[in-house]
Amino acid sequence: MTFDLLTNYTNGHFIDIIFYIIAFISFPMAIGVIMDKVIIRSGFMLIGLFGTICAMFLLLQAQFIALAQLMIYAVGITLVVVIALMLTSPKLESLNELDLDDSKISGFFLSLAVFFTLFTAIKSESWPVRPEISGIDSVKVIGAQLMTGYSIPFEFASLLLLSALIGAIMIAKHNQSVTKKSPVQTNEDNLITSSKK
Amino acid sequence: MNDQTVATVKPRQLSDFIGLSFTFFTSLMAITYATGFIEKIMNFNYLEICLFIIIVILGYLACAMRANIKTIVIAGITMSFFILSFHQSSLNKYLIFSAVLFSIGIYGLTVSRNAVRVLMSIELMLNAVNINLVAFAQYIDPIELKGQVFAIFVLTVAAAEAAVGLAIVLSIYRFMASVDMERFKLLRW
Repeated sequence: MTFDLLTNYTNGHFIDIIFYIIAFISFPMAIGVIMDKVIIRSGFMLIGLFGTICAMFLLLQAQFIALAQLMIYAVGITLVVVIALMLTSPKLESLNELDLDDSKISGFFLSLAVFFTLFTAIKSESWPVRPEISGIDSVKVIGAQLMTGYSIPFEFASLLLLSALIGAIMIAKHNQSVTKKSPVQTNEDNLITSSKK
Repeated sequence: MNDQTVATVKPRQLSDFIGLSFTFFTSLMAITYATGFIEKIMNFNYLEICLFIIIVILGYLACAMRANIKTIVIAGITMSFFILSFHQSSLNKYLIFSAVLFSIGIYGLTVSRNAVRVLMSIELMLNAVNINLVAFAQYIDPIELKGQVFAIFVLTVAAAEAAVGLAIVLSIYRFMASVDMERFKLLRW
């Protein structure tokens, strides 16, 4: 009801106005993630950026993807990123903040070239846009697709997650036989002890 | 007492004025473009690209005149996004939005020296791809919604990538006591 009233009041551009508001919130968030001096603050800005992208999914009527985005990205992945930031010592980027050195200029022109290529490709293509169909249960459709046509990739995704978690634990596990000073020597020591046994 | 409060207030400098005037000028340009006033004066095909190039050149000059870089970048990106996507169709608006996020992610990937920030910008690029997929699913394939299924697969791959990448960063930090990308020379042939 209120939605219809607002649509009439803004001459049918209500969705566009909300889209531009979300976009104008999300660009400073993204710039803050990339360029902020305090890196823990950029880690927290990542949560806000994923929240705005979740709102974008809600505008696109993809409710299931939006909630999965909130659960996986805005809670899970940013939590892991913030914990990794707390475990490392990030005091190196604030030294050369304002200097326009070579890597910054080359990165700027690279990203500009990528954006220009993508923009001309988007603009020159005429997409076969279909009229919008309301009343489709997206969760039902996605579930049917995952169980019929895409069941093998779904199983492979679960296998990938399992192997990635086991590999992450194996990599991050603190190996006590390898010390910081001389890992080669300790390997030799291990070899000697094993041969004595 | 008064002397202390006066001393803590930072005086306004020329660089702040340059940043403010850049923001004002770009927003004025965007509003006049939205009302269609510029199109009446000069009417040719690549008008928005010309305005975008003008904004980029002005922003580079303002950065060279020691204005605040973050102000210039945020104002330039938001206003050039508004100019480039205003007269497009609604699918193209989402595609241009995701292209802007993707190029911001590429900039962070090439420039940043902290390894965790590199992983963050990779997550940003994967999110831009997700927006693309969901927009295509909504506008081109609204019955079968295959784009949302692919977005779910991108989500799982991103979760696996984040877990393995952060584990690698932690183990390298434990080995070298640094997360600086310019000191990672372990894989140097």
